[in-house]
Amino acid sequence: MAEFTLDCLGEACPVPLMKTQKKMESMAVGDVLIVSIDHSCAMKNVPEWARNQGYNVEIEEVDDGEWELIIEKTK
Amino acid sequence: MAEIVQEVKTSVRKRTPRKPKKSQIPAALVLTIIVVVIGFYLAGLSPKLPIFWMFGLAFGYVLQRSRFCFTAAFRDPWISGSTSVTRAVLVAIGICTLGFTAIKYGAVLNGADIPGMGSVTPIGLPLVLGGIIFGIGMVIAGGCASGTLMRIGEGFLMQLLVLVFFVIGSLWGAHDQGAFWGPTFNANAPRVFLPDLFGWFGALVVQGLIILLLYIAAVKWQEKKGTAE
Repeated sequence: MAEFTLDCLGEACPVPLMKTQKKMESMAVGDVLIVSIDHSCAMKNVPEWARNQGYNVEIEEVDDGEWELIIEKTK
Repeated sequence: MAEIVQEVKTSVRKRTPRKPKKSQIPAALVLTIIVVVIGFYLAGLSPKLPIFWMFGLAFGYVLQRSRFCFTAAFRDPWISGSTSVTRAVLVAIGICTLGFTAIKYGAVLNGADIPGMGSVTPIGLPLVLGGIIFGIGMVIAGGCASGTLMRIGEGFLMQLLVLVFFVIGSLWGAHDQGAFWGPTFNANAPRVFLPDLFGWFGALVVQGLIILLLYIAAVKWQEKKGTAE
């Protein structure tokens, strides 16, 4: 049940999504990844991809235009 | 869900605290006044300009709120297999088709010139090459033209850099388009205006069918990608 962070601040779409995909692959089931993003587009496609994979996703707006995505690898 | 909450509570890493939100109402009031003042100023220059101004603002608002992104429409199917934005663009094109048909056919009925015929451009080599270059560029830059402008407004500063080169490229393109590319490759290239080929109603049906087929293809693509992984 490890927790990882991924800093994608300042990265434009689709970089956050691809980094998240790579990172999730290397994680074990039950691990949690926290992705920091500030590109509004990534706020949409990263959670959508993760939910399509069946992962649990929470979105938290930590500041105006800055989000943290909490993704749990469930399988 | 409960599991996540527990995980976060027991985690070593301190979560970024949510900064208290400042009230944005004063800024909104100032901005509204500025918008109205600019509107009146533009009205003094030309009666059409305030309309462009309002439509531009409305377009930007819709674009920002809906997270609409033409880049994502063509990129996400390959990266994540998601075609939700692709389908949104197809729906938008479908609505546009109805609207533009109404505007153009209305002009025909009134015996006026059809507006926007300057946009019926030749389909030639420059279009294909330009499409490929634009596609590569917009994925690297993280947004097409409208998306880039919208994200600068949102405060994503990296895209100011994109804007600089976007302006340079547009100016350069406009400069050389008529001098080299147009006469060299587009002189004999076909210009297709569907109502000329199928009639007004036929064009509507043909375009609607194409959009519908693309929509079905998008749904199938997502299903295929979703089960494959």
